[in-house]
Amino acid sequence: MPVIKINHTSVHVQEMNKGAKETILLIHGMFSNLSVYYFNIAPILAKQFHVVMYDLKSHGMSGKEKNGYDLNSLTDDLLALMETLELKAVHLVGYSFGGLVALRMASRFPGRVKKLAVIEAPDPGENERLGIMDMYSKEFLIDYINNFTDTTKFRMGKRQLEKNHRMYEYLFNETSIKSDLSKERGFFSGKEIGYIKQDTLLLYGKDSDCVPSGQTLYDRLTRSKIALLNGDHNLPLQQPEETAIRLKDFFEGWQSKFRQINNKIWQGLRL
Amino acid sequence: MDAIATHKLNSEEIFALLKQFITEVIGEEFVEDMDISKESSFTRDLEMDSIEIVSFSEKVKSHFGEHVDFTGWLSGMDLDQLINLKLGDIIKYIEQCQ
Repeated sequence: MPVIKINHTSVHVQEMNKGAKETILLIHGMFSNLSVYYFNIAPILAKQFHVVMYDLKSHGMSGKEKNGYDLNSLTDDLLALMETLELKAVHLVGYSFGGLVALRMASRFPGRVKKLAVIEAPDPGENERLGIMDMYSKEFLIDYINNFTDTTKFRMGKRQLEKNHRMYEYLFNETSIKSDLSKERGFFSGKEIGYIKQDTLLLYGKDSDCVPSGQTLYDRLTRSKIALLNGDHNLPLQQPEETAIRLKDFFEGWQSKFRQINNKIWQGLRL
Repeated sequence: MDAIATHKLNSEEIFALLKQFITEVIGEEFVEDMDISKESSFTRDLEMDSIEIVSFSEKVKSHFGEHVDFTGWLSGMDLDQLINLKLGDIIKYIEQCQ
């Protein structure tokens, strides 16, 4: 299991197609882990690109950390990971909270981010999302899981329930996550978003309550385009292939279009 | 790091190896209470979550090397197939690849 030490912290990293010329780095969401990409999305992207996935601190198989859940700390972590892997500049993808990390990375270190894809990033200014952490209880988790099961088909047994409950209890009660995230409330309304100049793809689920957040980003990011796919906030689990193809086409850019035109010309010549 | 397998394993040997990987991933204390068989499904019977399956996949990859593209095989499955995947299916797949 590739777990590497970065600044005295264990970071679980997975890579695919290591020899490829360009790299896509994938950031998962809060309370999730790199597996959201590992089985379906990453292998499709890896046909063309070097793909890097990692678990955020206290998530998946990375080490537990009590502090540093604000976007600056998390982008410092990401920069340190890129330095360790000797990655100068990458295409960056972030899902949900990982989308916020990706956006902050693009604004803080523009030279390290080529193109940017943001999937289902919520507006951290919405009180409801942070309020969930205050409301948290085991009963809340059970209720959430039942809802999650409805849209993703995954069922959680007793061992998984306990495992997840322990993670939430740790994050909410023993780390600075609540106060760190509350500092980010003004992220979408502040000037910073306007400074992001990378080509940006915004992917949202048609039935997601995050669509207004996507619309806000679309209005504020000068070089963005938005696509609404069938699904809700769990889009990468519901539509992994469609999500991966959209990402691949976006990162391939003109090369993909050129290939399509070339194919059509050759088909025409054969007729 | 597990060594890359150099000789062909039979069905029972693969089963024993996969049980060892599962024990390493989810912990001996949980495995003791489980009746792991070839009919056991990953998500329903073994209650493995997706990051544990990633860990399991890495162990398979590390043991068998490039001959067994376990992640590639899983990536071709839809959600229902992944949820219903049984240990016996994996054994068959590894046997075919060897």
